[in-house]
Amino acid sequence: MISVGIDSGSATTKAVLLNDGRIAAHVILPTAFDFLLAAEKAYKDVLADAGVDKTDVNHVCATGYGRNSIKFADRTISEITAHAMGVYHLYPDVNGIIDIGGQDSKVISVNGGRVTDFLMNDKCAAGTGKFLEYTAKALELPIEELGRLALTSKTPASITSMCTVFAESEAISLRARGFRKEDIAAGLIESVARRVAVMARQVGLKQNVAFVGGVAKNAGIKVALEKELGISLYVPPEPQVTGALGAALYCSS
Amino acid sequence: MQRFNSLEYIKNSYNARISQIAEERKTGKKIVGTFCLFVPDEIIFAAGADRIILCGGKNETVSIAEQYLPRNICPLVKSSFGSIVNNGCSGVKSCSHFGMVDMVVAENTCDSKKKMYELLGDYVPTYVIDLPQRPDSPEALKYFLGELYKFKGAMEQLTGNKVTIEQLKKEIESSNETRKLFHKLYGLRKMDPPPISGVDVLKVLQKQYFLSTEELKKSLRMLICEVEQVEVEWAHKPRIMISGCPMAGGNTKIPEIIESKGGVIVAEESCTGTRSFWDLVDEDKDPMLALAERYIKIPCSCMSPNNRRIDNILELAREFKVDGVVYYTLQFCHGYNIERYKVQQALKKAGIPMLAIETDYGDSDLEQIGLRVDAFMEMLS
Repeated sequence: MISVGIDSGSATTKAVLLNDGRIAAHVILPTAFDFLLAAEKAYKDVLADAGVDKTDVNHVCATGYGRNSIKFADRTISEITAHAMGVYHLYPDVNGIIDIGGQDSKVISVNGGRVTDFLMNDKCAAGTGKFLEYTAKALELPIEELGRLALTSKTPASITSMCTVFAESEAISLRARGFRKEDIAAGLIESVARRVAVMARQVGLKQNVAFVGGVAKNAGIKVALEKELGISLYVPPEPQVTGALGAALYCSS
Repeated sequence: MQRFNSLEYIKNSYNARISQIAEERKTGKKIVGTFCLFVPDEIIFAAGADRIILCGGKNETVSIAEQYLPRNICPLVKSSFGSIVNNGCSGVKSCSHFGMVDMVVAENTCDSKKKMYELLGDYVPTYVIDLPQRPDSPEALKYFLGELYKFKGAMEQLTGNKVTIEQLKKEIESSNETRKLFHKLYGLRKMDPPPISGVDVLKVLQKQYFLSTEELKKSLRMLICEVEQVEVEWAHKPRIMISGCPMAGGNTKIPEIIESKGGVIVAEESCTGTRSFWDLVDEDKDPMLALAERYIKIPCSCMSPNNRRIDNILELAREFKVDGVVYYTLQFCHGYNIERYKVQQALKKAGIPMLAIETDYGDSDLEQIGLRVDAFMEMLS
């Protein structure tokens, strides 16, 4: 059986093709303005990658912020359930998930692949990819560099503002006071980690926790989160596609 | 879900009620506006006055209120205040009653309301009942009883009528009758699946303190009769209880989302819900004392400690066979927001999942809340 999961996120659209439960292909591309258009392109690309014809696909399932715009999907599922299914497939012993995406962050408590509790931050950019994107700009850094540079810091600056706009001005004022770039970068990263760790503790994540979403690719955040929570985190080789994988699994179940 | 004729009747009752109040005012009858369950209707009616609720659930008047009040207080307080200073809801129909009251009877519950009433006094005569907030101490009951006597005096002064024991007893019986009707309606919701949606029940609850008692009872009897006839097809939907802040008239945001995502609301632990009718007034006691005893036990989050509320939530969850609780709070409602932690701990212990939603009257977070509710429903089924 062939099923495709599409995760229509605010920043990127992801697709995973499952062939008899095995991941045959995955794609990640920017969402841009039109959720449906991006989903159609992701679908086409993942089919091409796997060398599968559209007519051979049994099911398509959509998840993510734009899930209801994906007209060609058979069913939709929330990204919370999707991440839980996707991560459980990769790590059967997982008990918790931290997902930091472009515009929100979530912590999910799971038991045997089922969601037992969750918390989301989505009203504010604090603790999300957006926060890093803005504040990296204040340091004149590409976002990928922010995490790498932060890892070299020995004395991280303290950033107290949770609000993205205020944190940006705080970073600029630290710059003006002569702080080193890596120390400010580390301060910003720690502030995101702190914010997310509070949520993780509220839900009670303790051991066997996976870190997924676009921001999980940022090594600096992973290290800062591990330090903050005092545990080591599982990060899948492709942390951005666990939602799409979960949707594909949901479809084939 | 079933469409009920009686709900249409209730929906269309607004204009008739407004004309009724206008007529009453012409004959010299006084109209009292209230905000809160802690104000005993029985005393108002016994003095020969009529009553309408002034709690605002509409977003449109929030910005009017923000000319006077800080932005970061709860939307219910802002919406209500905005409606009153504006004598209505600025272009919104079904709002003119805000300008029709002779006196507001307020109560000291949360800080935002308490301080808002001080400003409100400049626009409409405002009487405030002081509410002791340690409900289980004997001193509190004594003090509250004294406050109710003072309130009775104020009503007598407003209307020029003496409140007699007989009149009070009659009104207590009448209000108990309404409470029993609500119990009967809620009893029907214990079926699986329930024959009536939570959104429908909420629309009745929101009219509870707006309609005249006679109209309310008539509507409830009609509705119960219709609901009893419903033959429901079996289909299990997650049974949800909403617990938390009031959902004032005009605000059906969260129940609508829950029921559009496949859940069904079977009970509301709310001022627009069980808190309004759960306990009856003892008809065998001295009426003033019986009123004080009944009203002081309303488990509002302004009370401290408020363990009665936790016990009540657990009891309701069992009684209505609830699969999950949606803990609903209005932004900046510190009382209910802080109590969330205790409720969450208690429900966790009882093995009942809970989803917390904090929101206001705006539409900007519909998608985000929809996602949480989707995930919660998936979790429960």
